[in-house]
Formats: sequence, C-alpha cells, structure tokens
Amino acid sequence: MNDGRDPFLPGASSPIARLVEAFHRLPGIGPKSAQRLAYHILRTQEAEAQELADALIEVKRSIVFCQQCQNLTSRTPCEICTDASRDRHSICVVEEPLDVLAIERTNGFHGLYHVLHGVISPSDGVGPEDLKIGELLARLRDVETEVSEIIVATNPNLEGEATAMYLARLLRPLGIRVTRLARGLPAGADLEYADDVTLGRALEFRQEVQ
Amino acid sequence: MHLAHLALTDVRSFRHLAIDLAPGIYVIAGENAAGKTNLLESVAMLATTKGVRSGPDLDLISWQAVVEDPLPAARLEADVETAAGKRSLEVAVIAQVAVAGVPPTRAGKRFRVNGVARRATDLIGQLRVVMFAADDLAIIDGPPVNRRRYLDLTISQLDPAYLRALQRYARVLEQRNSLLRRLQERGGRGLDQLDFWDDELAAAGALILARRAESVRALARDAADRYAELAATTEETLEIRYLPGVPASVQEALREHDLQAHLRAALEAGRVEDVRRGMSRIGPHRDDLSFLISGHPAGMTSSRGQQRSAALALRLAEVALSTRRTGDPPVLLLDDILSELDPRRRERILHVAYGVDQVLITTPDEDRPSREELPGALRMRLFEGALTPIAPFEAG
Ligand SMILES: [Zn+2]
Repeated sequence: MNDGRDPFLPGASSPIARLVEAFHRLPGIGPKSAQRLAYHILRTQEAEAQELADALIEVKRSIVFCQQCQNLTSRTPCEICTDASRDRHSICVVEEPLDVLAIERTNGFHGLYHVLHGVISPSDGVGPEDLKIGELLARLRDVETEVSEIIVATNPNLEGEATAMYLARLLRPLGIRVTRLARGLPAGADLEYADDVTLGRALEFRQEVQ
Repeated sequence: MHLAHLALTDVRSFRHLAIDLAPGIYVIAGENAAGKTNLLESVAMLATTKGVRSGPDLDLISWQAVVEDPLPAARLEADVETAAGKRSLEVAVIAQVAVAGVPPTRAGKRFRVNGVARRATDLIGQLRVVMFAADDLAIIDGPPVNRRRYLDLTISQLDPAYLRALQRYARVLEQRNSLLRRLQERGGRGLDQLDFWDDELAAAGALILARRAESVRALARDAADRYAELAATTEETLEIRYLPGVPASVQEALREHDLQAHLRAALEAGRVEDVRRGMSRIGPHRDDLSFLISGHPAGMTSSRGQQRSAALALRLAEVALSTRRTGDPPVLLLDDILSELDPRRRERILHVAYGVDQVLITTPDEDRPSREELPGALRMRLFEGALTPIAPFEAG
C-alpha cells in the first residue's frame, strides 16, 4: 500500500481520485456528489464495500443486453425473442426494460419488443444516437425480417412524443407502419405505473403516427 | 365573485388567521409591519398559485413553523362564491426536509379544489383577483420580463388553454435550446432533429401570441379610457402596444388562422442562426409591451405621476377584461395605494371598487380612506396576526 504516495493527494493515480472519477462518470452524478459518495465508501466497513464491488461485477457478468431486443437478460437472444409462439410481424418499442414487464402483464400483446434505454431529451444530453435506435434499424433491415408494424409505446409526455415522431420519420421510408398507443393514457403518466386495463386499451386502440 | 372564508396557517407572519367574509368593501388597517401586504399576497396566491414577489416558496412558511415543526408547511385556504357556485381552494407550501434536524432549503406546493388534490392548472382561475400595488410601476419601467409576467398572470386567470400552452412552451423551449447547443458542438449537422421541437414550439407559441395580442388589444382600449379619466385631460393619452418577439412575417399573421404555420416557417428559417448563437431567438419568450404617454415611451420621459396613472389605468382595464370575459367581476385587492393618490384619482379607483362584488383595501391609517369616501365599508384592524372588526362608533 505504502508506495510513498499520499492516498489523499489529488492526482490520476490516487485511489480516492480514481474512485471519485469513477462515480463522476455515472449519469446524474456531479463532482460534488462523486466526492460525497467516495468519502462515504471510505468510512464504511470493508465488508460493505466488498458487497458493492461484488454486486457490480456480478451484474456485469450475468446480465447482458439481448442482442436482438436490447432488453436486459441472463442469456441472449432472450426468452421472448426466441419464443416461437410470438408474432414476428410487430415490434413494440419501449423506453425501459420495466415497460416490457408492464405490457406483458396486460396479455394484450404477443409480438416482439425493442428497448431503447431512454428517450430523446436534449436537456438531459440524450439524442437519438444515444438510444438503441441503430440496433432497431439493423433488425428491420435484416433480409429475414417479417416486421410490418412498429408500435411506439414511449411515455405520453413531451420527450416520449419527440421519440415517437423521430422514429416515425425514420421508419416510414422503410415501408413499415408506425403506430402509437391510443390517448387512453393520461398525459404525463408513466407506462410503468399505468394499470393493466388502461394500458391494454391503449394498445388495442393504437393509432398511426402522422 | 367573492371570498366567503379565508384561512392562513403558518403563512409568513400569520400563525393562524381565519375569517368569514361577505360581499362588500373591507378596509384593513395596520402598522407597517403588521402583515397587510402578506395578507393580500396570500389571497393573490390562491388565485394564481404563484407568489407575487419573486423568491423561494420556502420563504412563505412562517419562521416559527420552520423552527418548531418537524414538517413545516404553510397552508392557504379559501371558500369562493361565484356566479357558478361555491368552491373551496387550498394551496399548501410544504418544506422538503431532507435530513431531520437540518433546516430545509426547498419547498414544494400542493393544491386542492373542493378537497381533492389537483394540479396548479386546475386551481388557477377558480378565484380571480386584480391586485393594485405600489410596485406596479415596475411593470412600466422595469425589464421586459416584468411585462410578460404581468400578461401571463392576467391571461392565465381567464384562460386555462393559455396556461397549458405557457407550461408546454417553457418545456419545449428548454429542450430546443439544449438541442441548439448540442448541434452547435457538432458543427450544425442534424438540423432535422429540430423538426419535432419546432412543431411543438410553433403550436404552443402561436396560441400564446394570439391570446396575448387579443388581450392587449382589449386592455389597451380600456386603459386609454381610464387614463383619460385619471388625468382629467384629453391632452395626455396612454397607448399600450404589443411587441411580439417574432419577425414581421409572423406579426402580419397574428390575426390569421395560419399563424402557427408562419411561426413554424420562421423557426425553420432561423435555425442556422439559432444554432450559431445556441439559443432560440424568436417566439413569445421575447415579447414586450410598450407604454406610450402622449406618444413618448413612458419608462423614459414621463413623470412619476404619469407612470402611476398608467399603472392604475392598466389595472382598471384588467378589471374590465376579467369581468367581460367571465361575466363575473374579480376580487379587487388594493395594497395601500390610495394614500399616495390625489382625491380625483382616488375617486376613480373607488368608483370601480363599487362595481365589483368584493374589495380588500389595506391602509396604515384607520381613517383613510375616510368613512365619507367609502360609505358602507367594513373596517378591520390587523394586529399581531389577528383581524378584529373596528366598531363604527370607535372612530372620531
Ligand atoms: Zn430479446
């Protein structure tokens, strides 16, 4: 440990500086919060720090993105993508993995999914290139694709609408029908928290994006 | 409309104040630090959900509550009777205590209408007020943001669609400006990413522009008449002009149905320059009003007295607009403005006060305005956070 350097001295190789830097790279963590977290770790028991480190590695080793739908899964392609009973003509595009669970609960959709891992929101620094849109395009351009409809199930708020509109303009030239959940969902509501009946109806009465 | 009941709990200097009110004119007398302005601003907040003064919402909570209560909160409640019926309103300002024992630094607001939790947009307009205050002069001689704020508070009370458009516009504008800076960093590539935001900005912006233009036309007409009466001369005139923050091509379409399309086209035409500057240069967020007294800008050349008359004329015009649009006159709040006026102007204001259902007037002097000037007014004293009626025989 003692290689003659003070661990508290700032510098790229100081362990604390490395930890602060690592926290700072996480989304939503500013320099102040990164420092606070680092000093918190410094004060905790070693066992607790070990537990955090193990959990980080574990999640990286066992959970992966499905190479097709980009959902989180322990094997790729995931269960849904490999389920032969599912309808391969439609893909439901959602913001987050939890939205897949919400739609599955409705029992109203039997096609495939695609998880964007976010929505377009310039003020949060998120543009189309930061989402899994390239992966969606690759799926649609695959010569074996049978997809004829994309249902955009992003949340009914400004950013969700921006994303739906972007996808519609991008996908229309490919000759694919792009639909959006019906207006049954209250504006500003999160898909994740919508009740099954409401969400099921929003799916059933989906409309083509103009 | 009128307030039938008002209750303030832990609002600024008030620990608990509750009072039943009837239609009529109330004169509320109190020392300078008695909280007269706080009282009227609380009523205004029940109408607009916003504080009259800028400053953090946390400041609305009485300091005793912040010190003593584990979960400090200010509660403003009113029962309002309108032509359409009776309703109860509540605004709660709740301190957000992150760590027990550490003073809060932020506060959030909660709203109820008839006891049911609602959004701010559902509360606004249920009670309408027009507040006359000494710092109304800042509408005329202050920065443009004061005039936009004036328009927003005035029109929002009359028009829920306007309020919704304002909220949407603010969010879209923030996203568009962020995208502009992002595109700037990328040397201006990907301008078509602006499509959605320009569509939305044009939709909300066109509604805001049209409603402001329409409201300013009505306000300007009435304010000109009221100014002539206040000044008691036809030599002096007041003219109020709307200066939309959009190019001439869009201004020409202000009264047309295709305003949105014109605004959309102007936004698209301005994209390259917007990206270069990293900000949206056109739209109602750049609007202004100009006040011309006898043809000259009021902020620069006119006297303090002329500016005061212009501010009064504007508020009087607001009363007329609110009454005409809804068929039900608003509650008037006069925050210690009468003592500075000459008898003629005082008479003009009080004339309007008799034309509405309810007026709350604050004054440092119990006998001004006098009983002769305001026959039939109910007089109350505000002292140590409580309101007590002043019996008619008490006065000399
Ligand atoms: Zn999958």
